[in-house]
Amino acid sequence: DEDFNLSQTPSHSQVQRNLERRSQDQVNQKVSELVQFLLVKDQKKIPIKRADILKKVIREYRDVYSEIINRAGRTLQQVFGLQVVEIDTKHHIYILTSNLPRVEGENLRRDNQTAKLGLLIVILSFIFMKGNSAKDGAVWEFLRRLRVQPGERHEVFGDVKKLVTEEFVRQKYLEITPIPLTDPPEFKYQWGPRAAKETSKRDVLRFVAKIQGKDPTFWMSQYNEAEATP
Amino acid sequence: ENREDMLNSKSNRLTEALEEANKLFSGVSCAREAALDAQFLVLASNLGKEKANELHSAMTAFDSLAFAEDLLTFMGINRIEAEENDSDPEGISGGYLPSNAWHKLGEETEKYFRRAPSFHYMLGSFKSDPPVPRQRIERQKKATGGEEKRAMPAQLKKMEESHQEATEKEVERILGLLQTHFKNDPDTPISFFDLVIDPNSFARTVENIFHVSFIIRDGFARLKLDDDKLPIIEPSKDNEGREDDHSAGARNQVVISLNHQEWK
Repeated sequence: DEDFNLSQTPSHSQVQRNLERRSQDQVNQKVSELVQFLLVKDQKKIPIKRADILKKVIREYRDVYSEIINRAGRTLQQVFGLQVVEIDTKHHIYILTSNLPRVEGENLRRDNQTAKLGLLIVILSFIFMKGNSAKDGAVWEFLRRLRVQPGERHEVFGDVKKLVTEEFVRQKYLEITPIPLTDPPEFKYQWGPRAAKETSKRDVLRFVAKIQGKDPTFWMSQYNEAEATP
Repeated sequence: ENREDMLNSKSNRLTEALEEANKLFSGVSCAREAALDAQFLVLASNLGKEKANELHSAMTAFDSLAFAEDLLTFMGINRIEAEENDSDPEGISGGYLPSNAWHKLGEETEKYFRRAPSFHYMLGSFKSDPPVPRQRIERQKKATGGEEKRAMPAQLKKMEESHQEATEKEVERILGLLQTHFKNDPDTPISFFDLVIDPNSFARTVENIFHVSFIIRDGFARLKLDDDKLPIIEPSKDNEGREDDHSAGARNQVVISLNHQEWK
C-alpha cells in the first residue's frame, strides 16, 4: 500500500501547475468517479480511507489529488447537501454527513437502518448522561429493561451483541475499549468519532429531555457540558 | 475484589488503601515491588474515576430506570394493568412492545442526527460475485428430465394429429367446393386465382394455395393454362387423375409466386 500514501502533500500552487498539464475533461471525470465512489462506499456507513480513494479512484492523478477531492466535496454539497468530514486526521479517514434539515415524513426505504438508529441513540444517551463513559455491564443492564438481551436473538436486531460491539464500532459510532486489569475482562463504552459528527451532546440531551418530558436544564451538569461542546 | 465496597460513596476505603500504598512504597527496594505498586495505582485510579462518575450522576439525578420506562412508553408499549404478580423479579416491567416499536423510535431519532441517506441505485446493480456453481441445478434437471420427456411425446403427438386433421379437412372442403361448382356448371373452368384469393386476407390466400396444392398433388384436380395463359383449375374425373399419378407419367411441378403487392 505504500505507493498510495502521499509522502509529501503538494502545495496549492504546485497543484495548480499540475492541473494545467491535465485535460479538464479527464479531471472532471475523476471528480465524478470520486463522487460515485464516496456515495457507494457510504452505504454501509463504514468510514472511507484516503488510501482506498487514492488506490481505487485517483490513481495516476495523484499529483492533483487535493483538487479532485475538493471538487468532489463541492459537488456533494451542492447537489446532495452532503459533507465530506474527516474523522481521523492522522490516518485520513472520511465519512459523509448531511447538511440538510430533516424533513418530516415516512422513510421511503423500508429497511432496518431506522430501527438501528433508535437503538444507537439510546446507547449514546445512556453513555452521555452517565458522564461520557459507561461500563459494558451497565449498558447491557439498561438495554435489558428495553427487552434487548445480548444472549437472545432479537426480533428486530437479530444478533444484538454483534450489532453493538461490531457493527456500531466498525462504523465508528461507538468506541469500546477494555478496562485494564479487570478479570473477567470488562469494557468501557464511549461515543465514537462518527457519533460526535453526526449528532451532538446538545441534540442527545434534547432527545432525552423530550422522552422524559423535561427541560434539558433539568440535568444541570450535562446541560452545561453540552452547551460547552461545539 | 472489594470493588463495590470501595465504590460506595460513603466509604473511605479507597482513600485508606491509597494511604497504605504510600506507606508501603517507602519500603520498596526492588523492581518487582515497584511494579506491583504501579499495578495497584492503575486499579486505584480506575476505581477513583468510577467513583467520581457516580458522584457526577448522583448530583444530576439521571435516573436510567425512569428513562427506560419513558422510552418504552414512547415506543408504544401496551402495559397490561392487572398483572402485578407477573412482573419479572429482575425488574423488567410487564407489557407488550409492538413490532414497530424500534422503528418508531428510530424515526424520532433521525431528527437528532445528520446522517447522510444511503445512496442506492433504484434498479439495483449487477452482482459482482461470480455466478453460483451450477452443479446443483444440473442434478435437478436430470432428475426431472426423464419425466418431462415422457410427457412431451404425448403432447406432440396430439398436436400433430390435430394439425393434420385441420389440413385434411380444409383440403376436403375446398375439393368439395370445386366439385360442386363443376357439377353445377361443368363447362366453365374456374380461374385458379378466383378460387384461392381471399380479397381480405393475404395470409388466408396463401393458406388456400397451400391446400389446393394437395388437391393437385393427389390428382383430384388439375391445373391448366387457359387461352390467356392464366391458370385454371378443374376437378379430374375419378379414375383418370389417380391413375395418372401412379403411372410413370410426367409429373409436373409448378412454382407460383405471389407476393403481397401482387395480391393487392
